[in-house]
Amino acid sequence: MSEQAESIIRLRSVTKEFERGGERLRVLENLDLDVGRGAFEALMGPSGSGKSTLLNLMAGLDRPSGGSIEIDRKRIDQMSEGELAAWRANNVGFVFQSYNLLPVLTAVENVELPLLLTPVASSERRKRAETALRVVGLQDRMQHYPRQLSGGQEQRVSIARAIVTDPILIVADEPTGDLDRKSADEILTLLETLNRTMGKTIVMVTHDPAAAERASMTRHLDKGRLKGEEAPNREPAWEAKT
Amino acid sequence: MMIPLRYNIRSLMVRKATTAAATLGIALVVFVLASALMLSEGVKETLSSAGREDIAIVLRKGSDAEMGSTIEDPQIGLIKSMSGVKRESDQPLGTGEVVIVIALEKLGAEGVTNVLVRGVTETSHKLRPDVKIVEGRLPSPGSDEVMIGRAIRGRIKGVELNQSFDLKKNRPVKVVGVFEDNGSSYESEVWADLDNVRASFGRQGAVSSVRVVLDSPASFDAFQAGVESDKRLGLMAKRETKYFEEQSQGTSIFLTFLGGLIAFFFSIGAMIGATITMYASIANRQREIGTLRALGFSRFSILICFLFEAVLLSLIGGLLGLVPAIFMGSIELSMVNFASWSELVFRFRPTPEVLGIAVGSAVVMGILGGFLPAVRAARTSPLAAMRA
Ligand SMILES: Nc1ncnc2c1ncn2[C@@H]1O[C@H](COP(=O)(O)OP(=O)(O)OP(=O)(O)O)[C@@H](O)[C@H]1O
Ligand SMILES: [Mg+2]
Repeated sequence: MSEQAESIIRLRSVTKEFERGGERLRVLENLDLDVGRGAFEALMGPSGSGKSTLLNLMAGLDRPSGGSIEIDRKRIDQMSEGELAAWRANNVGFVFQSYNLLPVLTAVENVELPLLLTPVASSERRKRAETALRVVGLQDRMQHYPRQLSGGQEQRVSIARAIVTDPILIVADEPTGDLDRKSADEILTLLETLNRTMGKTIVMVTHDPAAAERASMTRHLDKGRLKGEEAPNREPAWEAKT
Repeated sequence: MMIPLRYNIRSLMVRKATTAAATLGIALVVFVLASALMLSEGVKETLSSAGREDIAIVLRKGSDAEMGSTIEDPQIGLIKSMSGVKRESDQPLGTGEVVIVIALEKLGAEGVTNVLVRGVTETSHKLRPDVKIVEGRLPSPGSDEVMIGRAIRGRIKGVELNQSFDLKKNRPVKVVGVFEDNGSSYESEVWADLDNVRASFGRQGAVSSVRVVLDSPASFDAFQAGVESDKRLGLMAKRETKYFEEQSQGTSIFLTFLGGLIAFFFSIGAMIGATITMYASIANRQREIGTLRALGFSRFSILICFLFEAVLLSLIGGLLGLVPAIFMGSIELSMVNFASWSELVFRFRPTPEVLGIAVGSAVVMGILGGFLPAVRAARTSPLAAMRA
């Protein structure tokens, strides 16, 4: 992690504890983390090491028990539930392991959904959703319902939904976990393209070394701690372009 | 910004079986409620359509209805001579009538039913120009012939054209005509000759009521003042429309109350049904709701979304219940009118108000039944998007 690159994600002394059956479970331990603007980072680690917990904190889905989280120079650890929801709508795109499309909405309606939370006019919404679906190569599947799509196609719709609001950060929790090798590769290529050509900052949790390989950098989490300095897999997209 | 309605509509459609089950409960409530209100409206309509604005009815002071009232013959002339009474060829237009309730055997069913018999004069017909013979002919005055209302025809032994029944033991009358009167309560009556009725029941020298035609509806106040100013007469005057309206009140309030009570208890069941349905549906959609929360939809918009879904569910039920209720509009029903304790035949009457109340109650059931599940949905954590 080069010092001069601007950090879009800045975590300082972040801890996260869960209460379970009266017992306190410390999942993240005094964690510092900087992610540069335009990075594509992979987060690996054994099951239960706290990867999802960390990703959820960065995405504003949950709040830390201690420490500070700054995304794009904004403190999100102090925000209320309502403020966080509005912040997520404008700043984060989500890609889930199980795609999480609403089964009763068509592909284009699913992609349109996050735009309802932005000031975009209704006439403009459909156009943007269609553009996003074109970016992921599903222009001829717009009116299909999720059950009429393959897993790989569903995940591409979900990526279109993640980029349609033009967020500053995309988080993906095991985006290829439910996919076969070929579909997984297509999804990874798509994420790579989004990072390289559109400069999207992406943080991806994965168990698959081949997937991590595609990221510009891989971090390892173990028992709630990041393991030392990480070597970049390649130059971050933002710096590579300049 | 709100979650689009089509999300709820389609969510209900894909859960056809559970949606249908919850919907039917609401439909039943709305059907019961609408039917009771329609009945109550029907009673009001039937009784009040018999009245005219420009006719005054005079009764013994303190009697609620014609049945319990007695007016001596000499007073009839006095009443007719009051100011405000219309004259025809120099004769005041008005008549005394006797009303008696008799018990007759039902046709095709066990037991007896009460039938209202009205002793009328030739003037009685002038007061009700809408009364028309639909079959047979008018009874000849002063005879033992009678005519019967269209609504009670064929329901009671002997009360049918060209048959006869006993007014009183050994006092048979012959049915020579059937009449109608735009569905008014007269259609549930037997009209016999005034003197014949009085003789049969030993009521010579008195009538139950006196009706007079007024110069105009506006003449009522003057006429009433004339009748009621002489305290020795002990009489009171009412506009005929008002009289019939009061007659319908007891029955229609009873029907509204009874229907409302049944609907209330049914609605508790239906609301519990809607609540269970919504709880189950929300439990099945935890990941979906979590996803909506993760995308940034607020708790409030989730609350509104599911409240709306519950209202939509019950609105479908409401409309489903209204359809058979409206079809009830073509059914004729007979029941005892509390004012006269005699049989009255009327229809279910679907007025816009009744339909509005029925649909409105469906909406209320949706809001009440859907509230707790909607709160539960709104409290879903965005982290639920990640749980399998
Ligand atoms: N809401 C919660 N309440 C209590 N404990 C939790 C909660 N969320 C996570 N944990 C616990 O925190 C620890 C880390 O969980 P986390 O989901 O972050 O792991 P992970 O690294 O993503 O694992 P996996 O690779 O299996 O997805 C686990 O022990 C988990 O049981
Ligand atoms: Mg995980």
